[in-house]
Amino acid sequence: MERLVFEDVQQQLRQSSTDLSRWKLFQSSKWSAEALMGMRPTDSEDSLSADMSLATDGDDESPLKKRQILSSRCVLLDFCDNENQSETLPDVIPLMGKELDLYLLASSMFDCKEYDRCAFFLKDTSHDGLEFLYLYSRYLLWDKKVTESTEDVMIKDPEIFSADLSESLQAAEYGNDAEGKCRSGISLSNRDVDVGNGEKINLPKLHHEITDFLEKNKSLSKLGTALLMYLLGIIQKKQGVPSGAMSYFLKSLKLYPYNWTCWCELLSCISRTDESILLLKYLNDNFSIVKENGIIHEHLMLRFFKLAVFKEFGGDFDKYIEELGEIMKVFPNFSFLRAQHALINYKYMDYANAEIVFDELVTMDPYRLDDLDTYSNVLYVLQKPYKLAYLAQYAANVDIYRPETCCIIANYFSSKQQHEKSILYFRRALMLDKSYTHAWILMGHEFIEMKNSHAAIECYRRASDVNPRDFQAWYGLGQAYEVLDKHSFALYYFQKACALKPLDKRMWFASASCYEKLDKTVQAIKCFQRSSQLSGEQDISILYRLAKLHEKNNDVSSCKHYMAKCVELDEVKKAQQIDEIGKAKLWLAKHEFKHRNYSDAYNYANGVIHGTSQEIEEARAILAECRKRIDI
Amino acid sequence: MSSSHDTPSHVQSTLAISPLVQRTGANRGSMNRNDPIGNSQGRNVEGGRSNIPQIAQTPHQDRSPLVQKIRDVSHLATPAVMRHNGTAGSSLLASMTKNGLFGPALPSTLRKTSTSTDTVELNNSTNDEDIDHASDNVFDVSDLSSVEKLRLWRHDALMQHHYKTAEHIGDLIYSMTKDPNDAFWLAQVYYNQGSYVRAVELIFTDQLDSESIMCRYLAALCLFKLNKLEEALDIIGDTNPFQSEPSSPGNADGGVKLESSMCLLRGRIYVSLSNMEQAKECFKEAVQVDVKNYEAFDYLLSKHMLTTAEQWDLVRSLQFDDLDDNEEMMRCLYISRLSKYQHQTEIEHARKVLSDKYYLKDNRTVLLAEIELLNNQSKFTQCMKLCEQVLEVDEYNLEVLPIYIQCLHSFAAKNKLFLLSHKLAENFPKSPVTWFAVATYYLCMGKVSEARKYFSRSSIMDPSFGYSWLGFAHTYVAEGEHEQALSAYSTAARFFPGTHLPHLYLGMQYNRMDDLSLAEEYFMMAYDMCPTDPLLLNELGVIYFKRQNYIKAKKYMKRAHDAIKNMKSESKAWISIVINLGHTYRKLGEDERAIKCFKTVLESSKPTATLWCSLGFLYLRMKKIEKAIDSFHKALALDQGNQASNKLLKTALEINAHMIIDENHPMVISSNIQNIPTSHVSKNDKKRTSLGITSFDPVTEAKRLKQGISDHEGDSMDIEQ
Repeated sequence: MERLVFEDVQQQLRQSSTDLSRWKLFQSSKWSAEALMGMRPTDSEDSLSADMSLATDGDDESPLKKRQILSSRCVLLDFCDNENQSETLPDVIPLMGKELDLYLLASSMFDCKEYDRCAFFLKDTSHDGLEFLYLYSRYLLWDKKVTESTEDVMIKDPEIFSADLSESLQAAEYGNDAEGKCRSGISLSNRDVDVGNGEKINLPKLHHEITDFLEKNKSLSKLGTALLMYLLGIIQKKQGVPSGAMSYFLKSLKLYPYNWTCWCELLSCISRTDESILLLKYLNDNFSIVKENGIIHEHLMLRFFKLAVFKEFGGDFDKYIEELGEIMKVFPNFSFLRAQHALINYKYMDYANAEIVFDELVTMDPYRLDDLDTYSNVLYVLQKPYKLAYLAQYAANVDIYRPETCCIIANYFSSKQQHEKSILYFRRALMLDKSYTHAWILMGHEFIEMKNSHAAIECYRRASDVNPRDFQAWYGLGQAYEVLDKHSFALYYFQKACALKPLDKRMWFASASCYEKLDKTVQAIKCFQRSSQLSGEQDISILYRLAKLHEKNNDVSSCKHYMAKCVELDEVKKAQQIDEIGKAKLWLAKHEFKHRNYSDAYNYANGVIHGTSQEIEEARAILAECRKRIDI
Repeated sequence: MSSSHDTPSHVQSTLAISPLVQRTGANRGSMNRNDPIGNSQGRNVEGGRSNIPQIAQTPHQDRSPLVQKIRDVSHLATPAVMRHNGTAGSSLLASMTKNGLFGPALPSTLRKTSTSTDTVELNNSTNDEDIDHASDNVFDVSDLSSVEKLRLWRHDALMQHHYKTAEHIGDLIYSMTKDPNDAFWLAQVYYNQGSYVRAVELIFTDQLDSESIMCRYLAALCLFKLNKLEEALDIIGDTNPFQSEPSSPGNADGGVKLESSMCLLRGRIYVSLSNMEQAKECFKEAVQVDVKNYEAFDYLLSKHMLTTAEQWDLVRSLQFDDLDDNEEMMRCLYISRLSKYQHQTEIEHARKVLSDKYYLKDNRTVLLAEIELLNNQSKFTQCMKLCEQVLEVDEYNLEVLPIYIQCLHSFAAKNKLFLLSHKLAENFPKSPVTWFAVATYYLCMGKVSEARKYFSRSSIMDPSFGYSWLGFAHTYVAEGEHEQALSAYSTAARFFPGTHLPHLYLGMQYNRMDDLSLAEEYFMMAYDMCPTDPLLLNELGVIYFKRQNYIKAKKYMKRAHDAIKNMKSESKAWISIVINLGHTYRKLGEDERAIKCFKTVLESSKPTATLWCSLGFLYLRMKKIEKAIDSFHKALALDQGNQASNKLLKTALEINAHMIIDENHPMVISSNIQNIPTSHVSKNDKKRTSLGITSFDPVTEAKRLKQGISDHEGDSMDIEQ
């Protein structure tokens, strides 16, 4: 049984890798192939490997079916053979005769990145696969032209940039984009692109074309429909309709689950934890089969997806580790999983472990630059500049034109306190990939270091535009606005960060301080309470602030409670002297004095050792006063 | 009308005197004869079944010698002849029916051939037999009289554009015969040469204009060409002299009646004199006198002289039965050209008949009708496609081009416009369409003054070219010169009663100037003409919106939206209509519908700050603070100076800070959701209970959150129908 499933998975991954590369979804295809190669070798290694050597050559025949020597044949010819079985294999896209020729033409043009030509020759096709290729190339055309025609202030040449920035970012405090142009994502999405002859491509138009096509042609192959749905989803996402995009992605995945990019896109459509829960519930209902014995058999891809969701939104850590371990058993050599492991360690701030896993990853798959930017973050945090330098050199040697590489180098410079150079490299990374959230955030941090809050805000804002799931961007925004004394703005962003990371005390603390500054005592108290609940051990300063807030709120008993707690805690810890202790004691002393508990007041006042001279004076006065009263 | 030399009367066409038309006895009635080779001029014309007695002009009885001649030539296969025969050949022959190919719609007097004597039997016979048969009846040119031979010579020379030859021979003949018909032909030669003065001189010196009605027509035409309009009008008479005469039923010879031609000419003179009212009457008369006068009909329509009702009245009054078995086809063709504002089912029916029954799907007139329809519905993408289809065959089709240029403008296809205007300027420097194209290009480029220059040049060339007038007025609008724009529009409105656009634009101008009652008046005028134009409905909605009559505004907006719904983002009009509808909903307090409208627009067009601001306002009103704040941020990202957004954002943030953190606060809920998975850890239990919540299900909580802070209104709800 187990073995059958295993072979099944292998088979399907193999199939998907071929299919997807045929229809030019290279990233997904790569993922499938990597997964395939990363699988645990089976017991019947010998016989299977023999099969595979033939089959991986491009044929998709199941090893369980009649085996043929196909390796010498061209993939597409095989496909034509398969055509005869199209009744039994409805999920592949059949290509026959003329269509095959047309496909060859279009495919080679696509590979040469001549999207216009590709689209031109496919204009009148009614074949679903070719239609997908047609629309996909038109979409890419649109994307390319829009990207080319967009000028972004933030990633311009530094000379122009700094001049520009100083003018344009002065007014940036309300989140204004410089000159109001090219705010990524939003304004780009609805551009028209001229194909040269007056014909315009824009997203709504593409959207209509696809839906029309799907409406007209009912009897499409599964894969064809899935691909078109996937494209629809991407378009909807670009148009800023994540809910629409999500439903398309789900439809696509239902028809063809082995499209990993589609899963990733699906993940990028949700921006809040509650959404992720709803989505997972839906997926659980739709992508898993309950066997007779009550064991829930989840679809393999869903299991992968769940790992990704956890990485983004958190969840039950133990269950996650268990799941990861199980999948790792099946795919021991799959570098993607290893990377996920490392990333999750990083995310949970277990930097030492993250480093170890990253090291493993690099030895396992040395030329995989994906996620190594996170590795550089780890090294940065662990303050291992030599290792970081090595990594930077190494990545630069592998491929200097990768955004990850630029990011690693930037991190290196940042660790050397060369912030300007660092920013330069971040900008380079962003030039290569504008939707690189990571670089935006880190660039924002650099600007903060350089005390340029406006520029930092802009960076964070871009990051949150691209990826609203990253709390760092929101938190960064909040901090930057706090520096600018715009507390209501800061509060809003802290709230956002807090919604993403509700178990992080920093978020609650930051929100609380903002509430405090805004004179919203009740809310501030709530947030401080939450924050102190979340921190493993009590924090005196929080307690003191809570007390102060209660005092402000005329709730003397609560105030006293917290003041007393402060003092208690100080007695337990006896560690370092903090100003707050003195203040708390002074307050308690005054309070007790007022209530004529002179001995208590005396005790408290006696404890005030540190503090400003004024405080100490006051304490002495109380002491003297108390002595008098006690004496009396 | 008859004199010693018999010239055709006003009810006849010039076919009556063509030397090539075979005369059959009046008693023979209409006889058709087969023509073995689709002959030189490629057309059969029904013979002059005339009430005029036979005259010596055409002594040959059975067969035009020209046929013979051309057949001979065709053996020599001169290219010219080959071209004539190119489309014909035996297939043409085979397709000929009894009344098959004759050319009633061809106004020229010169395209004449013989008709067939023999009927269907011959058609069915093979080619060889035809030829055999024909060779039995071959005429020898030598049988003809010498004058007759000369006439043939002259005529052929004219046909082949050897004007010198034709002139000399014609002169020779005229000197010999003094026949006014020969004078007419000579004048015709002059006319073709472009020496109008000589033609006029010839006619006047011999006072032929009183003798022959044809000569009078030609003289007037020449004077018209010479731009001596008053004189031309004098000759032709300022009203139709034959008006009182009972119109003869049916046309005699299949050509266009001279009376009709004269009416047409009169109309054109009036157009040049800017007397549109008279011109309109003349054209109407022309086409009423003879339905075959398509040119007059075209004038009426393409110059927008008739209102929709008048158009239908006219078409209903036309006598299509003159056309025998072409009746239905021509009726449909005429109907399909009518204005597309009303009676759309009938037009659609006509188009269907044409394309299905007569297989005229690709005919240009039929396509033109469709193009006009699409243009009128603002379906520019399809319209442009169709235009390009026509222009591929006929690159300089001056009827399609203006619409095509409009389409290009609506897509801002500068490059194509540039190329097109250059091509046109090279080939048709005298056509108003050319300069219209040039002006449109400049308008696209935002060079308003240049655009105006060329628009005015275009409309000076042809004051009845409506597109340029409107374009001219648009340039003033673009510069904010309301008064000038108004006067230009009202001139256009006077000139073109058949289109509602000037009224619409006038209304828009007044609307912009906040003169609502005047604007409404004009809109209503336009509405009477064309109640289906989405733009107009939108404007009406705006008027009511401005008057704060939101219910009515909603009604019109919705109608506009319905009219344009299926086009979606193809047009800018759609976007503004949806925005307006959204604002109306907002005013009416139908927040969810309004949000739906705004979101649809944001999905499909370039976002603007005001749009985001409105959306934010609505969210704020619906207490969706987070959404509202995000929207205002987006508005300010697009336009940092947006005051309204700034203010509203501050309000929203204040409200946000004011919100009590209880268990309904999004922050609390999301933290609860995240707590749940770790709930088995005991220490977290404490945390959770301390927030005051004892039990919950993460899924329902998530749903609650979603309803609370996100908008889920869009899924099931559609814009109200």
